[in-house]
Amino acid sequence: MPETNLFTDIGLTHYLVLSVIMFSLGMAGVLLRRNLIVLLMCIELMLNAVNLSFVAFSKFSGKIDGQVMVFFVMTIAAAEAAVGLALAVSIFKRFKEVNIRFFEHLKG
Amino acid sequence: MTSDVFLFWFLALVTVVSGLSVVLMTNPIYSALSLAMTMIGVAALFVTLNAYFLAGVQLIVYAGAVMVLFVMVLMLFDLKHELQAFTRGRITGGIKIASVGILSGLIVGAVTMGLKTIPAEKADIAAETVAKAGGVINTDTTRTLAENLFVKNIFGFEALGVLLLVIAVGTVALSRSKGGSHARD
Amino acid sequence: MVNHEILIAILLLSPLIGFLLNGVRFRSHNYMLAGCIATVAVAISFVSAVLLFMQLVDADAEHRRLAVSFFEWIAVDKFKINAGFVVDQISSIMILIITGVGSLIHLFSIGYMHHDKGVTKYFAYLNLFVFNMLILVLGDSLLTMFVGWEGVGLCSYLLIGFWFNDSAKAAAGMKAFITNRIGDAAFIIGMFVLFVTFGTLNMHELNQLAPTVLDASWMGAVTIGTMLLFIGATGKSAQIPLYVWLPDAMAGPTPVSALIHAATMVTAGVYMIVRLNPLFIMAPNTMMVIAIIGAATAVLAATIGLTQFDIKKVLAYSTVSQLGYMFLAVGVGAFGAGMFHLMTHAFFKALMFLGSGSVIHGMHEEQDIRKMGGLRKYMPITHFTFLLGWLAIIGMPPFAGFFSKDEILWQAFSSPRGHWLLWVAGVLGAVLTAFYMTRLMALTFWGKSRIDKSVHPHESGLSMTIPLMVLAVLSVIGGWIGIPHVIGSALGDIPNHWEHWLEPVIKTVPGVVAEGAEHAQHDTSTEVLLMCVSVVLAAISAITAYVMYTKKEGVSDKVAKAFGPAYELVNKKYLVDEAYFAGIINPLVNTSRNLWYYVDVNFIDKATFKIADIANGGGSFVKVLQNGNMQQYAMYIGVGVVVVLSFVLMR
Repeated sequence: MPETNLFTDIGLTHYLVLSVIMFSLGMAGVLLRRNLIVLLMCIELMLNAVNLSFVAFSKFSGKIDGQVMVFFVMTIAAAEAAVGLALAVSIFKRFKEVNIRFFEHLKG
Repeated sequence: MTSDVFLFWFLALVTVVSGLSVVLMTNPIYSALSLAMTMIGVAALFVTLNAYFLAGVQLIVYAGAVMVLFVMVLMLFDLKHELQAFTRGRITGGIKIASVGILSGLIVGAVTMGLKTIPAEKADIAAETVAKAGGVINTDTTRTLAENLFVKNIFGFEALGVLLLVIAVGTVALSRSKGGSHARD
Repeated sequence: MVNHEILIAILLLSPLIGFLLNGVRFRSHNYMLAGCIATVAVAISFVSAVLLFMQLVDADAEHRRLAVSFFEWIAVDKFKINAGFVVDQISSIMILIITGVGSLIHLFSIGYMHHDKGVTKYFAYLNLFVFNMLILVLGDSLLTMFVGWEGVGLCSYLLIGFWFNDSAKAAAGMKAFITNRIGDAAFIIGMFVLFVTFGTLNMHELNQLAPTVLDASWMGAVTIGTMLLFIGATGKSAQIPLYVWLPDAMAGPTPVSALIHAATMVTAGVYMIVRLNPLFIMAPNTMMVIAIIGAATAVLAATIGLTQFDIKKVLAYSTVSQLGYMFLAVGVGAFGAGMFHLMTHAFFKALMFLGSGSVIHGMHEEQDIRKMGGLRKYMPITHFTFLLGWLAIIGMPPFAGFFSKDEILWQAFSSPRGHWLLWVAGVLGAVLTAFYMTRLMALTFWGKSRIDKSVHPHESGLSMTIPLMVLAVLSVIGGWIGIPHVIGSALGDIPNHWEHWLEPVIKTVPGVVAEGAEHAQHDTSTEVLLMCVSVVLAAISAITAYVMYTKKEGVSDKVAKAFGPAYELVNKKYLVDEAYFAGIINPLVNTSRNLWYYVDVNFIDKATFKIADIANGGGSFVKVLQNGNMQQYAMYIGVGVVVVLSFVLMR
């Protein structure tokens, strides 16, 4: 079996690792950032990472189902972003703030 | 070092750096722009994976519509700089970063352990089966995608349409709640 | 000839129906209706009792037993108890007494209680009492009898504490019930012992199995069992040491005292022993104890009765004393004599209690005899009937008390289980009885009047005097069915009906000599001698008391001062109640209170508070986690995912 060089032979693993890195970046952003809009953007980042892994699986397994999945995910993500932003606008109209440190109404 | 290898590494670098700057930049506009860059990077990666149609859709929908929406909303808020961009609290912050790190480590470990012996052969096998099927898929994924989408998953496709309609109506309804010219302030 | 099962059913259920009918209307003030319902109910029972008695008379001597079993009550492995009732020679006498005297007392109560606000409740309780007493005497097993035993204890409590708004009267009710209960505990353990020994609680079977037991020692099963049953009897029939409730029970209405504490409930103990006489005969140790306690009680209560000034208290101590005589009788083996005295005592004591009720009613609720005197003028009928009762109780021939008391004294002397000391105690008791009863009569009815000017005594109405007259007649002629052979043969061969009637069910004590043997001659003259001695002594005592209290004023006070501290002791009832409180009740109460305080309040309550505090603290500790910070919630999710994933991947 020929020697597989991690740097020259791009395989499924590479794409998956890339996807994991992006996903964890997005998760860190969700947990650490306080601006509501940036939070939503980090969620979009996570979804993109997932899309990437789907497409990688699709290519490396030869089936087209991964890409179909991506199609759906993309649509849903766009819709969710729209709604989220509408909500953010409403919140800003009401509270004049989008920093979530002011929204601790679930306390207790 | 073949071109697609080089291309992969370059695109990977770009994407990761952009992703980092999404999370780390304090100015939200900078974050938004970095996210747009990330999406372009991802679209390019799609191309390397032979998903041309999806790459195009990614650029149009994500980078073209969604990011514009984000920037527009940010423009509405008129935020100059962020007071306290990141969470306060060292301990909880530490836990968060730690958990993220462990999670990524676990998944990477699982992936490499599971797929250590497969990658190159799998790619070859996939290419062979594809080639046996007439090489249609290798170059014309769009067609296969279309066939799958409009024949096997037609219901989902139409449902998506309805969903988008609902979203549109909902968004308008949300933004019509008391506020704007009728705001209490 | 009516079926005896139906008669027994009517006998039992009539008072129960009376109870229910009066019970549901218990707030009504209509004394006439309530009284009529109650009296008619008991009268119906009396008629059934008479019919049953006549059926027994018609049957021949060996088959005088009407038994019925209504349903099977308990059936557990070998332990079977039926709701069975037996009318035989002994219980027929009892049911006649209970229903007969009972209906007279119900009639009396209509007049006595007419102004009371709880009159319907009172009649309901009286009927319930009669029902339970009938169960007690008719029950064919110890357990069925015990149901009635407990029931009459309950009714006694309800009726003694009838005017419960007065805390002293309510306390008297509680005292009666609790003292009874102590006796009942011994009764239950006695039942256990007898069941373990004989395997049955049916009294007929117990009597038949009794001779098979040979061990009559102190630790033998029969002795222990009968001793425990006797302790239960001391509670119910007010003997030493559980007699203390009876004088306090005078807090209840006077007809209650007449019915329960003279004629019926207190005789339950005596009845139980007579019923189980074969069993008791096999335990001579127990019988010795019974005789001694009976004699001691008779004397003790008589001495206390000398010093009391409440008319009902004198009669109460007299009851305790006369019950002592009954127990003395059964203790020496004279079961028939004991039953005889039970019957005559029911007549004259009920008569005297009702008479005292009439006096109290006429004197407008005055009960202190120091404030009475010369009532003969104002209440002639009451005085005359009371006089007949007095003559009966001090044992003057030919009244009822003479025959029964004399039979007891003779048996105490001559029975193989008797002793001459017991006879002496009995005679002493008779002398004291004559003295204090004459004192009572003198201070109440004769002599100068010490009545307060504001009180105008009057004779009572017909509903109260008719029972008095009937009972007076019975007190006179009641003894004539048990004339002893000594006198009977002298007067022309009048047989002793009582003895013949009870002969099949009363076993004789081993060693008793039959009538007509050679020794009979000696015994006859001894018997006559002893009879005369006791009558003469009683007469002397009565005349002394009459003189002291009517003719010479002030003599009694001088005598009391002369006795000084002894008089004080007797007047305070030998401080028995105080001794019980100091020795038993107060230590128990203190122990309970300490237990409550240290264990319950300090320990258990504090433990529950601590547990509540822990729950509270735990809650508030966890409450910190929910601070409204949504990112932290997301962190929790993330941490959870990491943990789960690590578990999954580590496998």
